[in-house]
Amino acid sequence: MPGIFVFSEDLALAKQLLTPGLALAQALAQPLVALATGQAEAETLAGLGADRALVLKAERSAPEALAPAIAELLTREGASVVLVGGTLRGKHLAAHVAAALNAGLTTDAKSLVIVDGQLATQRILYAGLAVCDEVVALPAVATIPQRTFLAPAAAAQPGAVETLEVAADTRITVQSATPVESEGVDITAAIKLVAVGRGFAKKEDLALARDLAGGLKAELACTRGIAEDEHWLPIERYIGISGQTVKPELYLAVGLSGQVQHMVGCRESKVIVAINKDEQAPIFEAADYGIVGDLYQVLPLLTAALQN
Amino acid sequence: MSILLTEEQELIGQSARDFAKEYLDPIVVDMDHTGQYPAAVVKALAEHDFLGLFLQGEYGGAEAGYVSLVEAIENLARSSAAVASIVINHSLAAYAIQRWGAASQKKDYLPALAAGSTLGGFAVFEHGPTPGVGASALQATRVPEGWALKGTKAYVRNAGVAGLYVVLACTDPAAGAKSLAAFIVSAKASGLTVGPLAETMGLKGCPVADLVFDNVILAESALLGGIADGNAIVTETLALASVAEAAQTVGIGQAAVEHAAAYAKTRVQFGRPIASLQAIQTLLAEVATDCHLARLGLRVAAQLLDQGEPFQVEAAMVKQFLARFGSKLLIDTVQVEGGFGYSEFMPLPRLFRDIAGTTLLEAPADYPEKTIAAALLA
Amino acid sequence: MPKILVCYKWVLNEQDIKIRPEDLSLDASRAKGKISDFDRNAIEEATLIVEQQGGTVDALSYGTPAVRQSIKDVLSRGPNRLLWIGDPKAEEADALVIAKVLAAAIRKSDPYDLILCGEGSSDMFYQQIPARLAALLELPCLTFVARMTLEGRTLMAQRKPGDCTEMVSVTGPAVVSVLSEINKPRIPSLKQVLGAAKKPSEEIALDSLGLAAGDLTPKAVRKSPKGFLMNRKNVVFKESDAAANVAKLVASLKAEGLH
Repeated sequence: MPGIFVFSEDLALAKQLLTPGLALAQALAQPLVALATGQAEAETLAGLGADRALVLKAERSAPEALAPAIAELLTREGASVVLVGGTLRGKHLAAHVAAALNAGLTTDAKSLVIVDGQLATQRILYAGLAVCDEVVALPAVATIPQRTFLAPAAAAQPGAVETLEVAADTRITVQSATPVESEGVDITAAIKLVAVGRGFAKKEDLALARDLAGGLKAELACTRGIAEDEHWLPIERYIGISGQTVKPELYLAVGLSGQVQHMVGCRESKVIVAINKDEQAPIFEAADYGIVGDLYQVLPLLTAALQN
Repeated sequence: MSILLTEEQELIGQSARDFAKEYLDPIVVDMDHTGQYPAAVVKALAEHDFLGLFLQGEYGGAEAGYVSLVEAIENLARSSAAVASIVINHSLAAYAIQRWGAASQKKDYLPALAAGSTLGGFAVFEHGPTPGVGASALQATRVPEGWALKGTKAYVRNAGVAGLYVVLACTDPAAGAKSLAAFIVSAKASGLTVGPLAETMGLKGCPVADLVFDNVILAESALLGGIADGNAIVTETLALASVAEAAQTVGIGQAAVEHAAAYAKTRVQFGRPIASLQAIQTLLAEVATDCHLARLGLRVAAQLLDQGEPFQVEAAMVKQFLARFGSKLLIDTVQVEGGFGYSEFMPLPRLFRDIAGTTLLEAPADYPEKTIAAALLA
Repeated sequence: MPKILVCYKWVLNEQDIKIRPEDLSLDASRAKGKISDFDRNAIEEATLIVEQQGGTVDALSYGTPAVRQSIKDVLSRGPNRLLWIGDPKAEEADALVIAKVLAAAIRKSDPYDLILCGEGSSDMFYQQIPARLAALLELPCLTFVARMTLEGRTLMAQRKPGDCTEMVSVTGPAVVSVLSEINKPRIPSLKQVLGAAKKPSEEIALDSLGLAAGDLTPKAVRKSPKGFLMNRKNVVFKESDAAANVAKLVASLKAEGLH
């Protein structure tokens, strides 16, 4: 039966998907179906507006392993729109599903509306240099980033929950899985961020940024080079086109040049402040306020001034 | 003959640019302050085949020709003129041996030069008059083993880091300027010492020192070319130097233009970026044009070299052009950047000091005007 | 001795693209082409494998006829042979079409032991091609690979799919997408640049792939690209006295209600 289908292995994200899901379901006058890998998750989603929630029981629960089964299910059901939570695993799943449905897939959709029977959204191009409209014919698949939508309110009537046994793709053997050495911090939820770049000469110097962040009650973030090349901070703190996207109230960029690949991850911040010794660094064009100066001089002064 | 590049030449230029960004940009400021020779960078240059670019394949060279050489040098110089100097002076020794060497000499010396495991230097200048114009004060006297060299060479680039030097010496004081001959001398030769490193105005990181020859004994096989070939070797090799240094100068100029243009766009005075001011636009336009025309001129000379045709006149022309406009180029860009550009914090002061080295030094045995006039008035 | 295929995209260098201030339209007239950044990692990884254990690397690309400009650049970075499909309409293609064309070309050649891709292209960053390709070819797909080793027919990889670090393995042909952290792409030596001219490259005609018109019609259509200009206050404090600058910044933060 044609419908709007939503899935994310991350329950919080799955709940958020219901909001655009409900809007699309209404626009197309079709049911909203949530897919889940556990009973409790399915019941939660059924209680938040899904007309049906399907528990997929398989020997594996990873989205990639369920891709062929989900693709087959959606083909059978005749899905019109499939919304997948835009985690990395979700993106893998979504692409597989789109190939199987012979459908277009829009990545990182921040808004979705039906216009003339097609799904309309926006895309970022050229590492953040440009944006464009994107229109996808139905059936369409979309991946949606975390925190783009809020979860809906409880539904008056919970939807039906069913269980379905499906076959997982077991061609790939998972030998071990180590959780990411997370400091437990979610920088996408931070209200203020201090971001560091290659202006810092050595790892120990990040203490200056930490002091400042402490004084501001901000979290620490960084550019790709600091995380991936230097390994001074974990990858979860890296902001940029293949890292995190944030929109805090304050983004304080210290010793980073402000290349487009980085700025695309933070440009929706309410206020951007830059500290850099190079007056020509692109960051100053992207900032509301800036100080041209040596961060080794400016940071201690700023930290002290904020304490008063 | 085309002044446009082949795809290979463009890719070589692009590779040199990528190499420069990766290996030179991070060290260039420190090297300018300390003058320390960038051994690790030279090793990387060798691994990327920059030190045997025009040498024949049978000796391990890339056989890429001289247009490739100047493309590489310009792109290296855009980041560091000092490193370009190291490559240029190595190339002069390699060129001389490939051009005039006997088969056995080429086999003995070119593979190490091509691989970069031996760096080369070209020792022609002295504290007195330039050899060829006047007699060389460095004497080469016949001895039973072959030759004995006595005297001093000055301003030898790559001195102390080179593994071999091509040295110009006087074989017959009575014959004066005409008795110039070239010798291949190992850096390890007994009696050869390197003087203290000169503290130069610019191009810091490329070592410059005297070579002192205290009765250095060389075998007969050390003679490069014929005993009367010294003048030809000097003239032609220094003509190649003119072309290569022109590429180096254009590289410095290009870096200056780009820096000044970027600066002019961001520097706001009286409510507008200074890039909107007529005076600034004129300065930038002139500097960019001088770079462009010099680049075309040196490419022509390099192409003639590639084709095995005489190129000294064209080389002299581009040397003369840059001697006049090279420094003006930097003066103009400093004018654009004003007090800001004047600060050592910025690249312009280093570029200014470097371009003084590439445009004002090393007049060839014949002044450029003489070479050009001689061709015109013949 | 593995037979490896690397898929790559020839894209415009975004640094050369200018935004016209009048209407925010894009001016790409001076933009040069480049190998998409993450594809360089894929090419480098394939080259490293073959340097260690022998084998061959084919490079494959679908794009406008401009792809011709990429041939020597790609071949200078390790692959033995380059195959390309030129199509003036490739610029409008979406990931659906691109994956179908690549899959059709792959089916026409002798089977590959390993197909490598970058995580996503630097111009569009769909992050779709690897999993789409694997689905079309019915091959297992390892995405977000940070390290890998190939031993015989068994591929072992470290994946970083965001929530954990996984060690996985698969036997037999697979599609792999690599993260940029997997390696540092080399700058080709000048001999490698010159050697590229001697390596074979072959254009595959689009109409030889047996694709219907419908297969080549994009389902996700992009329209009206507009430059994104940061519209910020650009208030810069640059006096020589750092303390004065700091005081002004703190005052501004207070005015913004941030302190």
